[in-house]
Amino acid sequence: MIAAVVIPAFDLRAALRLRPGLQAKPAALAPLPGKEPLVGSVTGAAQAQGVRPGMRLGEALAMCPGLELVEQDPATAEQAWEEILRRLEDSGFAVEPTEAGTVYFETKGVERLYGGVEPALRRALASVGSSWDARAGAADRRFAALAAANVARPGQALIVSDDRTRSFLAPLPLTLLPLERERYEQLEELGIRTIGQLAGLPGGAVAERLGPAGHRAWSLAGNDPAEQDGRVKPRRPATALHETLEFPEAVGNDLTLRRGLGVLVDRLLARPERAGRPPRKVAVWARLVGGASWRRTVTLREPTADPARLRTALGPKLAELPAPALKLRLEICELAEHTGEQLELLAAEGEVVRGKLREGLRQVRAAVGAGGVSTVVEVAPWSRIPEARALLVPRDD
Amino acid sequence: MVAHTGSARAARTARRLNAPRPALVEGHADGTPRRVNRQDVAVVREEWRVVDRWWTDEPVDRRYFDVVLETGENAVVFRDDNGSWFTQRA
Repeated sequence: MIAAVVIPAFDLRAALRLRPGLQAKPAALAPLPGKEPLVGSVTGAAQAQGVRPGMRLGEALAMCPGLELVEQDPATAEQAWEEILRRLEDSGFAVEPTEAGTVYFETKGVERLYGGVEPALRRALASVGSSWDARAGAADRRFAALAAANVARPGQALIVSDDRTRSFLAPLPLTLLPLERERYEQLEELGIRTIGQLAGLPGGAVAERLGPAGHRAWSLAGNDPAEQDGRVKPRRPATALHETLEFPEAVGNDLTLRRGLGVLVDRLLARPERAGRPPRKVAVWARLVGGASWRRTVTLREPTADPARLRTALGPKLAELPAPALKLRLEICELAEHTGEQLELLAAEGEVVRGKLREGLRQVRAAVGAGGVSTVVEVAPWSRIPEARALLVPRDD
Repeated sequence: MVAHTGSARAARTARRLNAPRPALVEGHADGTPRRVNRQDVAVVREEWRVVDRWWTDEPVDRRYFDVVLETGENAVVFRDDNGSWFTQRA
């Protein structure tokens, strides 16, 4: 069976970890600066007053004047989600996270370990932790498992057997299906509000009216038993390597931040757990003045353990810091499998070297634009005036 | 060599390598530099003079100083005949 564990409004719950009192009050995630003013996830109290996720901020405030807006905290959410995934992996579940707050796993490998599907799901919920109000669902199909988890109560595990899948899905709302908002509205205008009603329509008509996405939703609704909505592809457990630097006072100076980053790179590369393997994916995280957090991930084109190359790859990210930082952390998200580098037996020469040079120059030109590559041409090397000795001549060949 | 991108026209024009850049220099009464770009000068290693192109409309008359700053950095600065200071790799 395929199991799904869902934590509704995970991003809001993560942002409220430091302010748990707001969980019971009308609160919503504030829009990101510079983005469309739409509220994010909302608490139950806000929902009770008519505020819905994705609503315009003005409309939400008009509907609920006491609505508390919570600043988004993507780094904390990402960190909390990673901790949950690790706890699940420690309990033996090979997890496939799809988005923060939703994770799938196969129960086959753990049923015998925990004595059945239900004890396994209970164990998974316990691994997530009771404070997150997680819920679990299991079914033979991925979508049915997700639907079961979505309708389960907090802390409940709902198992849907294969022969009951269709009758279980029939009364559920269409919003569980992966469809665009306009498609829901289109279906609602046609008087179709449940998955069962959609499943009752002829497939050809649905495809003609709603396109391929609509046909897929129709298949997921239970019409095509052969429709496989994908098996679980477990992630490779992430590497937990990080180093943190706490500043005595907030730092916004680029030079100091870069030096701090340099120290973190050196410390991280010196960690014995790395066992000589070069990092493939790294992340820079910062706690900002005012409590917000910031995080950027960099996947290296070529895994490297060269501190200078890592600094060059990560340094420019620091310029994107929106406020001075109190804390800087460098994490290795993924290590390469190899410990060495395949070198050439014979040093390249002649046309091979020229070809490599041409390719390198082509890449530089593509990155910085025409005129980005120049040749130094000596015009009067004997001159006593330094600037008269050579010229920089652009080359575009 | 990789250069900053400018306008398309500027990008295709040959330009001088190692052109002098204006520097903020405070000098002693004898004309030697005391501070360069807000850094104290620790020692003046060498001093020389370049007088050239005196036969043209743009004569060159510069007094060069090779200095070591308190930060340990090396710098070459010169003062032209108008009293302006520049930095340049000699």
